[in-house]
Amino acid sequence: MAKIRGSIVVNVEKCKGCEVCMVSCPTGTIAMAKEVNGKGYNYAFPANPELCIGCANCAMVCPDGVITVYKTKI
Amino acid sequence: MEKELRLMKGNEAVAEAAIRAGVDGYFGYPITPQTEIIEYLFEANPAETTGMVVLQAESEVAAINMVYGGAGCGKKVMTSSSSPGISLKQEGISYIAGAELPCLIVNVVRGGPGLGTIQPAQSDYFQSTKGGGHGDYHLIVLAPASVQEMADFVGLSFELAFKYRNPVMMLSDGAIGQMMEKVYLSPHVERSKTVPEWATSGKPKSRQRNIITSLDLDSNRQELFNRKLLAKYDEIREKEVRFEEFQCEDAEYILVAYGTSARVCQKSVQLAREQGIKAGLLRPITLFPFPTKRINELAGKVKGMLSVEMSSGQMVEDVMLAVNGKVPVYHFGRMGGIVTTPEEVVENLKFKFIKD
Repeated sequence: MAKIRGSIVVNVEKCKGCEVCMVSCPTGTIAMAKEVNGKGYNYAFPANPELCIGCANCAMVCPDGVITVYKTKI
Repeated sequence: MEKELRLMKGNEAVAEAAIRAGVDGYFGYPITPQTEIIEYLFEANPAETTGMVVLQAESEVAAINMVYGGAGCGKKVMTSSSSPGISLKQEGISYIAGAELPCLIVNVVRGGPGLGTIQPAQSDYFQSTKGGGHGDYHLIVLAPASVQEMADFVGLSFELAFKYRNPVMMLSDGAIGQMMEKVYLSPHVERSKTVPEWATSGKPKSRQRNIITSLDLDSNRQELFNRKLLAKYDEIREKEVRFEEFQCEDAEYILVAYGTSARVCQKSVQLAREQGIKAGLLRPITLFPFPTKRINELAGKVKGMLSVEMSSGQMVEDVMLAVNGKVPVYHFGRMGGIVTTPEEVVENLKFKFIKD
């Protein structure tokens, strides 16, 4: 079976920092940024991008739909 | 007409409900966690559909005084803010209460004091229910516990505001404002083309000039006015109390909580009952008028009450007054933007009342 690598893009301004994606990530890819967005929330970001497997759990649970997931076969 | 089902944030639900309720004007100033209200209204641009005015004022103080002006003209007007912004609005709110004008103020509470945090809290209870601004006045305070209620209470708020000529505050919090839930939206209501007879809408020959003011230099007349307000608040206390009970019939301990805390406590009640503790939940929907009478009745049947709030203990004072010494009343709360967990509440209930 081909190995799949994933990558996520976070819409920083729409993130409210609820941390649901961070908990749902099976590989520990996502962490909350020390910086804040325009509204003052610590937004989610891919802290360990090389760990992403493209499972899209984060995008699925995100209540505001701020995460886009890309997958590629390698 | 069928109600429309949508997935929305609490803040967006308020904004959409305002357009649908036929509100004439919204004047606001952005502040996290309620910015989505003004964002949504600007994007929806109701000026082109219903003719509703949406305006970002230069400050909170300007916004509340625009509401004062709009309400004086007999229009359905509203504003919204979060805790620090509501503090800025207090002068205007006192004037609006003093001039007996109807309006809606939405407070999406965040942790305080000062600028505090941007996470949910319930630390504005005193400010909302006991006054906040200067002078002898009360707001009618509604506390939604879901996105659905945030939408529904817009229409209800204006109904009460116009019925009693009194400002209404919707006391939400950062969690419900930011939370996404499904919501059934009411059908559109046309904006009213007429204004009440007290409105300053121009003087026809048929009546005297209408004057909107909160100033009276004669103390005797001012006291009469204060008595009139008092009679109005008594009528509101008599007729408009709203609350919800959850498994209170056979309860030995009652949790009293509103808004987000009430949602947490529903789970706590279930957890406690699994452990053999007969707990129940009373959720005040109106914080002013407070369900004093019902709490007093229940106090005769239970062993104790626990007021669960996201504050250092504010509503607990009203619960104590209502219980009037019949049973012990304690407070449990997390502060500064932290939402308590159901397990913590059960632990605290056991620690305070059962102690073994």
